[in-house]
Amino acid sequence: MSAALQLDDLAVRFGGVQAVAGVSFAVDEGDFVGLIGPNGAGKTTLIKIVAGLQRPDRGRVTLGGVDVTGDATAARVRRGLSLTHQIVRPFRAMTVLDNVVLGAGIGRTANPFRAMLHVERRRESERAAEILGRVGLAGTERKLAGSLPLGQMKRLELARALAVEPDVILLDEPLAGLNQTEASRQVETISDVHKGGITVILIEHNLEEVMRICRRLIVLNNGLVIGDGEPRQVMADPAVHEAYVGSGMATHAQA
Amino acid sequence: MYYIDLAVTGISFGCMYAVMSVGLTLVYGLLRILHVAHAAVFALGAYVTVLVANASGSIALGFLASIAVTPLFGMAIYRLLYEPLLKYRPDVPMIASVGLLVLMQDAFRILFGEQGVTFHRNAFSFTTFNFAGITVSAIQVAIVVTAAVVFTGLHLFTTRTRIGVGWRATVSKPQIAASFGVDPIKVRYLNFAIGSALAAVAGGLVALLNNLVDPTIGFVVSYKALAIIVLGGLGSVRGTLVASLVLGLVESYGTIFIGAWLDRDAIAFLALILLLMIRPQGFTGARAA
Amino acid sequence: MSAYEVSIISIVGINVILAVSLNMISGFCGQVSLGHGAFFGAGAYAAALAMVATASVPLALVAALVTGSLLGIVVGFASLRVRSDFLAVTTIGVNFLFTGFVRKQAWLGGEMGISGIPATGLGASGNMIMILLFAALTIALSFHVSRSWMGFAFRAVGEDEGAAATLGINAGAYKLAAFGIGTALAGLAGGLYTFFTQFITADAFDFIFSVMLMAMVVIGGIGSTAGVVVAAIGLTLLPEAIRFVNNYRLLVYGGLLVLVIRLAPGGLAALARSVVIRVRGT
Repeated sequence: MSAALQLDDLAVRFGGVQAVAGVSFAVDEGDFVGLIGPNGAGKTTLIKIVAGLQRPDRGRVTLGGVDVTGDATAARVRRGLSLTHQIVRPFRAMTVLDNVVLGAGIGRTANPFRAMLHVERRRESERAAEILGRVGLAGTERKLAGSLPLGQMKRLELARALAVEPDVILLDEPLAGLNQTEASRQVETISDVHKGGITVILIEHNLEEVMRICRRLIVLNNGLVIGDGEPRQVMADPAVHEAYVGSGMATHAQA
Repeated sequence: MYYIDLAVTGISFGCMYAVMSVGLTLVYGLLRILHVAHAAVFALGAYVTVLVANASGSIALGFLASIAVTPLFGMAIYRLLYEPLLKYRPDVPMIASVGLLVLMQDAFRILFGEQGVTFHRNAFSFTTFNFAGITVSAIQVAIVVTAAVVFTGLHLFTTRTRIGVGWRATVSKPQIAASFGVDPIKVRYLNFAIGSALAAVAGGLVALLNNLVDPTIGFVVSYKALAIIVLGGLGSVRGTLVASLVLGLVESYGTIFIGAWLDRDAIAFLALILLLMIRPQGFTGARAA
Repeated sequence: MSAYEVSIISIVGINVILAVSLNMISGFCGQVSLGHGAFFGAGAYAAALAMVATASVPLALVAALVTGSLLGIVVGFASLRVRSDFLAVTTIGVNFLFTGFVRKQAWLGGEMGISGIPATGLGASGNMIMILLFAALTIALSFHVSRSWMGFAFRAVGEDEGAAATLGINAGAYKLAAFGIGTALAGLAGGLYTFFTQFITADAFDFIFSVMLMAMVVIGGIGSTAGVVVAAIGLTLLPEAIRFVNNYRLLVYGGLLVLVIRLAPGGLAALARSVVIRVRGT
């Protein structure tokens, strides 16, 4: 059985810097992976490669057994990938509900001319409302997405990513900018998403929360994987400790 | 000899385009707005030069007047039209700018007539020099000299003076203006003022060259200037100079080969589109002044 | 109905088709196109050639629609490669290339254009009715697209292509579709124009005309079919209603464009909406 997501020897260099220097790992179906590393480790670049926003100089990305290395983002989403952005990108001029309905309508929008033939949205609206309820945004449906506070926007971002019914979901710093309460709430929701059977890959700086929920931790530094395994073990690894302390970041994992 | 004459024409037009286009590239570099109405500033400069020269009998006074007036006009465009629109995507101020150009053009037509205005006395129009068998008109010389002075001056200003260095840095990276002790708002006004004054000079020179200013004068150059700044790398003064000279020469020589197929004026756009298809990010791509 | 009235209504109908089709490209899908005149012109010339050769109205209409659309799809492909601010300049360039090319081609009539184009046989009133029918169809199509999933996807692509991609929307395909449909309609309008005037020159399809079309879209309210229709009708009739405006046509169009963007960027449609909201007391 093939992995839900497989990365083989991915590397990319730009601006004179080797951002990703040969990364390989496989994520199984149902995994809950936390991707961490100091600033500049290459996490965001790696995620961009997986999402199709950055072309690698070499290597392969395989999604559910299918090689998607040459595919654009939209094509990857149709194959089961989904992602949220670190800096949220809602469709501000649309309502909260419509943002999610569009995602739920992924089956309708594959082909522009077929899309032109369909007007009916009842099913997608119902699904969207249900998803909004799950992420805690019930009641905001009619509001313009641009008018939401950050915490709610982050939840909308997640709702939209869920609407496309993904197999694998990439979350790029979903807790950034949230206060303690909001962050905990968001973590619970993400945990529920995972329990629903979706493979989750999470990039986060907030190590406490990451350690709590992830089943597997992958540590990146200087574009390479320097740790991969059970969170507590990985954090106890001196090489990982060195990478963090060396860049001036304290870790909570000494306990 | 013919080919050298074409080169002379091409270079002098190129120099004129360059002086005119600097303002456009500076505004784009700073605000990401395609300041299409810059052509109206150019036209205004041309009109003022002629009208004041006719009224006072001195062409020099005409130039001075236009250099005094156009920066005010340019800065007013920024303050009244662009500044309130900065919150929208860049297409919005651009369309407004196009509207302003069309409006101004018609205003010039209504105010000064469809036929345009001419110098009462243009002492230079027939003066020519002869360099080793090549005939060059005095105005062509003036244009090239002006361009040389302008670009050397800009270069020195942005590398040797404190204000200039700060200005250059701000145009490249508006967000670091504060650390240079430069007020970003003042930089914007400075951009519009300098760019507009230069456009006025270019306009005056074209007026001398053709001995005529008509309502469409800005129009013809405006879209060429757009093509130039895109090809030269938006925000790059050096790129603008290179692209301008290249365009001037291509137009000059191009009419021989392509003239049967295409209007001379359309050549600029053909070049632009072809080059954008090959290199969608523009020519030099660098944003440094 | 006098000949003058028939003539005015015909022009209004053609401008409505042009403005509504431009709104689909620039309003629904957010792709700034300042060269719509070129597609109008391409259709007009195609229809002219077809009529001169065969005097067949259906053939001329199909030729007009297809030619407009083919040119539009080529430009659409260009839009995929080029950043959005360059797109505007590219479309201006396309317009100038079109007029520059046509003016130099003897087989297209050069500077003199094509004259003596055979009549459709429907008479002026018949032509007018045909134009109005197509205008109605265009409006209906525009409303339908807006309500459909295509319109939904267009709005997403117009606002943020990258975010649209994360919902599986292939922005490139939609941009091509927008250009293809919008320019096909513009080409169609060109054919209708040829039937109406029986004489065409490149001057009718220049950049200034494209700016006027964009003015109609902006003043009507970018993205609003109803608003754009009202603006197209109003702006076409204005120089007729107020005689002296005819001499100041560009001044008025340019001035209105600047004023609307500056003071009421949502155009008439937004103004109408805010009036409705105030009346409802929400």
